[in-house]
Amino acid sequence: MKIILDRPRCEGHGLCEEAAPHLMHLDDEGELVLDVEQFGEADAGPANAAVRVCPVAALRVA
Amino acid sequence: MTTNPPTSDVDLFADEVLLDPYPVYAELRERGSVVHLRKNDVHVLTRYDAIRGAIADWESFSSTSVGFNPMVNEALAGTSLASDPPAHTRLRAALTENLSPRALRGLKGQIEAKADSLVAELVEKGSFEAVDALARAFPLEVVADLIGFTGAARDNMLRWGQAAMQVLGPMNRRTTESFPIAGELYSWCSEVRAADLAEGSVGRGIFDAEARGAIPPDTAGHIIHQYLGAGVDTTMAAIGNIVALFGSHPDQLARVRADPSLVPAAFNEVLRFWAPVHAWGRRATKDIDIDGATVPAGAQVAILFGAGNRDPWHYENPDAFLVERNPSDHLSFGYGPHGCAGQGLARLEAHAVIEALARRVGRLVLGPEVRVPSNITRSIEKLPVLEVIPA
Repeated sequence: MKIILDRPRCEGHGLCEEAAPHLMHLDDEGELVLDVEQFGEADAGPANAAVRVCPVAALRVA
Repeated sequence: MTTNPPTSDVDLFADEVLLDPYPVYAELRERGSVVHLRKNDVHVLTRYDAIRGAIADWESFSSTSVGFNPMVNEALAGTSLASDPPAHTRLRAALTENLSPRALRGLKGQIEAKADSLVAELVEKGSFEAVDALARAFPLEVVADLIGFTGAARDNMLRWGQAAMQVLGPMNRRTTESFPIAGELYSWCSEVRAADLAEGSVGRGIFDAEARGAIPPDTAGHIIHQYLGAGVDTTMAAIGNIVALFGSHPDQLARVRADPSLVPAAFNEVLRFWAPVHAWGRRATKDIDIDGATVPAGAQVAILFGAGNRDPWHYENPDAFLVERNPSDHLSFGYGPHGCAGQGLARLEAHAVIEALARRVGRLVLGPEVRVPSNITRSIEKLPVLEVIPA
């Protein structure tokens, strides 16, 4: 499975990073970096949690 | 096939409902995900999944009717608040350019220092009225400094901000009395120029962005209007709620004191427990089926964030205030394309206040809170703190 970021929508609220710190982080400029895009079953929980908490619906899993 | 939703004779904007909407929310939520209120001719969305689904689905639920009277919707036409993609996408980007957490990162230390010195001063006094002294004073100072207000504008922020929310209601007495005041804000924002705002402020930055073409011409004033209209009254409500809920739940304050990493979770729970916004409008663009009932095309919809936040199908024991719950998916900031644009700033302010309270206050002894009915924002008007037991 893959995490997809709609970059123009992302405003850097950072809630996804709290939900899945090993999959993504905000860099020093406050821009979201996806450290892992393709993920396996083991990361499905945190990946879906990150999608769920994004306040502006900028993330999805496909 | 269309199936009419259940109906109710509840008046969503009656004084007693505005003062304490939670029993009515529970009753409506029991009836269905969508209920038609005959008195208001509004279809209310009551359950968590229906609300989250609707605010994500801008194609079915248009923002051209966020208010509950045609006059306010007309006045808001062309703002990001009241438009749909694709026009909305550009307006939203202009609005958040200077308001996103990214843009506000540099302000964190300043906001924390302000909250701490204000709370320290109040603890020292020992008794105070928390709404004027903290819930209003703090966001007014933060937003005034942020936008770079000076003079008359600064003195008017409170009444302008309150009126801007009030006029979103139906055409009742509260709305008609507030229109002239909301009009003062509107005209001030249409005349304000860069030179009126303090140098180095975010407000100045918005004019700079306009000057260099990063945002469309003549949008700076509108953006400042939205900062004030949407950001002042709601934040004041949330901070008043923080003081009231921690005062009445000393065990929950003790948990945050013991583990300050709970501060963000505690704020999520404050927002879930008491939503600052009572009802927010949308317009159905077509017949929409929600859990087997039809919202007809053209219907005025009211999203009841507070009802969804207490939905027992989504939150266990929803009527309990529990800081460890961390309901980061609460509905009080909305969600999706129109999710609160100022939530980053709201978090900075509220986290700073909770941290300062947890650091300096052992327990608060509260007198009875006073509420005044208000169309859209649900907030405490007076909250006496009779005694502070310091940390």
